Amino acid sequence: MEGLLTAWAAVSLTFFALRVVAGDPVASLLSQGLASPEQVESLRRSLGLDAPLLIQYLQFLRGFLRGDLGTSLYTSRPVSVVIAEQLPATITLALAGLCLALLFGLGLGVTAAWKEHSAAGRLAARLAGLATALPVAFTGVIGLLLYRYILQWFPSVGFIASRRLFLPALVLGFSSAGAIARVVQAGLFESMRSPYMLAARARGIGRGVRLLWHALRPALPPATSLSALEAAYLFAGTVVTETVFSRPGLGRLLVSSILQGDYPIAQGVVALAALFYTASHIIADILAFLIDPRLRKAT
Amino acid sequence: MRRDVPALLSAGWLLAVCIVSITAPMISNSSPYQPVAEPLTPPGQHFMLGTDALGRDVWTRLVYGARINPGASLLATAITVTIGGLFGLIAASISGWLDRTIMWIANAMLAIPGLLLAMLFVAAMGPGLPTVILAIGFGGAPGFARLARTIFQQVRERGYVTAAKALGAGRSWVALHHLLPNAQSQLLSLATTHFAWAFMGTTTLTFLGLAGDPSIPEWGAMLNTGRAHLIDAPWLALFPGLAISLTILAVQSLGARLANSESN
Repeated sequence: MEGLLTAWAAVSLTFFALRVVAGDPVASLLSQGLASPEQVESLRRSLGLDAPLLIQYLQFLRGFLRGDLGTSLYTSRPVSVVIAEQLPATITLALAGLCLALLFGLGLGVTAAWKEHSAAGRLAARLAGLATALPVAFTGVIGLLLYRYILQWFPSVGFIASRRLFLPALVLGFSSAGAIARVVQAGLFESMRSPYMLAARARGIGRGVRLLWHALRPALPPATSLSALEAAYLFAGTVVTETVFSRPGLGRLLVSSILQGDYPIAQGVVALAALFYTASHIIADILAFLIDPRLRKAT
Repeated sequence: MRRDVPALLSAGWLLAVCIVSITAPMISNSSPYQPVAEPLTPPGQHFMLGTDALGRDVWTRLVYGARINPGASLLATAITVTIGGLFGLIAASISGWLDRTIMWIANAMLAIPGLLLAMLFVAAMGPGLPTVILAIGFGGAPGFARLARTIFQQVRERGYVTAAKALGAGRSWVALHHLLPNAQSQLLSLATTHFAWAFMGTTTLTFLGLAGDPSIPEWGAMLNTGRAHLIDAPWLALFPGLAISLTILAVQSLGARLANSESN
């Protein structure tokens, strides 16, 4: 319920930010000399921009609930169709990125906590720190360069490390892995010092099993909820990744629509991101509930 | 005192960026806009970092970029701290429905990742460097407001605030004379961490080409134009990328140190 309210507020925000801050979105067409005053006037009428703001807002909400996001100012195609065309590419990239982020995050976090006092552990912690600090634009460029050099020496790598999906997903996953690794490491650090770990050790359970089953399990719920948040932020990351790798998708659509001043598309993409964020929040809560038996008992 | 190598290196790098930005015309005698040699000359004797696709000196452009990037991020951070801090202070000192409303709006805005929120503002105001600065400033405000509110609330619970209230101090007196001064150091460390985000944000937006004019010597825009020559001239993308990354790393490590000294 609260999620729905947040989603409504965020979607409304996309409407008001553009209308109130930008004023008249069609006026820029006029100033760019792309349309005559008469054309602008008729466009304004056909878009419903001559109605009072509140009416426009209600019409926007009504359309949004029906999946109608308006039409592009430049191509006159429905925004929902334009977005639907680009959506699969971005979802594939984001999902692949998320999988790699979880893999790296868990790997780095567990290594950092397990080998805390050795070089490998410190390296893992350092890498996790680097992952959050380095901008995706730069890691992407480094990734592309490395890929070039590796390809020169081992041409067969090109087959596995497909430039279209694997490399962008790798860069995206790496950038999100840092935060996940940090939470996993902190959780492990805490649970490894708790009495039940000593009890498990006294029962003669091996170190690996202790770490991966007894210690990791209580550390997972916070990591899952963070991963869900990361999934939403991954969407922002795809915007940059798509630009670096010249990959089609929602991010490129958003950037080009902003540069063109095509506000209905920008509005639609950002509203979709807000919905996605709210949804991943709800999924995170459900997942935490499933993983952590303590939560189930409480309700 | 224990020697802290990462902090020293970070401070050194930031100091170097500051000095370079002030003395830019002395360090380099060519213009960041005018071609000086053949396009795509590799780094060498005459041109330390090579030239770009239009024959402009990459070193000179980086040096002049040191005037734009840190300044832009500083401005954006100032906007965020002012707006976010103000709303955080209001929410913390006037509890009740106003507090709930402000936090509800902030949470709703946080449902849109900061970078996308900033892009939404750029969409509304049109591309350009001033827009990018404003957008990153606004985009970071809701998150900052929420964190600032928590800090102010912690100060609010201290004994001397209760004492001041008992002596009949009003809400605004408490806010201005007790909450604000005593939260200063924590706010400063929060602002430092935020500066790293603002730096990342502004360079990301300019990297996406949202600063409009691609000829300005700005690190994000340089990284973007360098992308086109990754194979024949990798230095075009590498040097601005390194400059961006080193600055973010330096600010983050100093911010972490600041937060540590805070808690000790």
